[in-house]
Amino acid sequence: MNHSLTLGLRAMRETLRTPDSLVPTLLIPLFFLVVNIGQAGRIFPSDDTDFLNGQNYAAFQLPSSLLLAASFGGAALYLVEEIEGGYFDKLRATPIPRMSIVLGRLYAEFVKSVGITALMIAISLALGVRIESGVAGFVLLVVMVSIWAMVFSGFMQLIALKTRSAAATQAGGLVFFPLLFLTPNFVPRNLLTRPMEVAATLNPVTYVMEACRSLILDGFDATALGKGAVVIAAAGALMLGLSVRLINRYD
Amino acid sequence: MTNGQAEHPSAIRAVGLVKTYRGSTGEIEAVRGVDLEVRSGEVFGFLGPNGAGKSTTVRMLTTLMTITAGSAHVAGVDVAADPDGARHKIGVALQEAGLDPRQTGRELLTLQARLFGMSSSEAAARAEELLELVELTDAGDRRIKGYSGGMKRRLDLASALVHRPDVLFLDEPTTGLDPASRLTVWAEVRRINQLGTTVFLTTQYLEEADQLCDRIAIIDQGRIVREGTPSALKDDLARRRGDGTTPTLDDVFLDATGRTRVQVDGDVKEIQA
Repeated sequence: MNHSLTLGLRAMRETLRTPDSLVPTLLIPLFFLVVNIGQAGRIFPSDDTDFLNGQNYAAFQLPSSLLLAASFGGAALYLVEEIEGGYFDKLRATPIPRMSIVLGRLYAEFVKSVGITALMIAISLALGVRIESGVAGFVLLVVMVSIWAMVFSGFMQLIALKTRSAAATQAGGLVFFPLLFLTPNFVPRNLLTRPMEVAATLNPVTYVMEACRSLILDGFDATALGKGAVVIAAAGALMLGLSVRLINRYD
Repeated sequence: MTNGQAEHPSAIRAVGLVKTYRGSTGEIEAVRGVDLEVRSGEVFGFLGPNGAGKSTTVRMLTTLMTITAGSAHVAGVDVAADPDGARHKIGVALQEAGLDPRQTGRELLTLQARLFGMSSSEAAARAEELLELVELTDAGDRRIKGYSGGMKRRLDLASALVHRPDVLFLDEPTTGLDPASRLTVWAEVRRINQLGTTVFLTTQYLEEADQLCDRIAIIDQGRIVREGTPSALKDDLARRRGDGTTPTLDDVFLDATGRTRVQVDGDVKEIQA
């Protein structure tokens, strides 16, 4: 079996043995979803708000919560723990491509995100959300968010490899956090103030969010999905390139 | 201690090994031209004060750190030119047993075996064999998190042996262990050596070096300052002192690293020469 998959299975086992680590990843985004619906649901009634396409405000908010859940970077925290504890060196002393160590954790992050994303969507269905694009759209939504979780975790792992410190990795994650909020997460881009609209347009996360939202509200919108896919692919390629460089030069 | 081999081809050969880092205060020379020759089948002790360059040397020899200058061959493989080739030949147990606390001992060994290319069934069989070797069969299905320090060390040793390496590197294998656990690790090291594995051991405990090692080298400030068998080094010091007393390996170490020992009010104190 491929070494990355072997290490991925090990990371999955680790996740299953630390279920408490999944609690914030699930509960915090759900908390934001419920609170935001509670605060803004009446401002945007479903029958009188064009951008909701007849759905309630939860449908508009859901992508923000899904991307928030995908941005906890749990893989990086486990990695840095191994660096500090010495097991990372044990793995580096084996004759496997060093990138397998990074990829194994990212594969596990993908599987974990599939579970969490599917569960969050299931909960949102109970809140009256419909996935306009149907079952295929649901699957695409889960896959897209989960690949984004891998990419995000990959960037967090870069911080872990560079700093080799748990505190620095956690702090480094906060650098990415504003990107989630400089997005059209409350209203569509055309309703934002001009400075926020510019910031959101420059922010790549916007296009991932809009692609996810299009599957929930509009069906299959090739333009939105295409832009989201390009952003994910470009960020993924950048993350993988930097990871290969950093782990192969790790001294 | 040795296998009594007729020939002694080099298990480790380092020539002019240098490691420099770029630190906040400028360039730091951690290792300044180390030459080493470890014979196949011996237990070789690598001693030195804290910060002398022991661990840095081990990390270079085990492919975990790049070599700034010089060359190193382990089991005939150039560690810089063919690191993966070298990794097949060496086993590594570094300071503070680096283990994954969330796995069981058996899972850790099986994973390690899989990473060295064994099939699932081969890996499972090897894990079983090694658990038996280090007397952890009963604890094999328990998570490592609950192991004692001595059990972790033994498991770390076992994981370094998964692929039957020619050369085993042990970086301070008994630091922090109680005396009973230390004796158990010593017994394991002897047993592993008797099975034909060359052992390169760093330690701060001179008694450990005296008990286990065929030959030792002492490194100080990045340079080798003494090398030989423990008895030859002690004899050499006795000759140089010429006062009729029999030096211990501690005396050799203190003499070699430029420190001396004085009795003050019944306490042993170490001072810079």
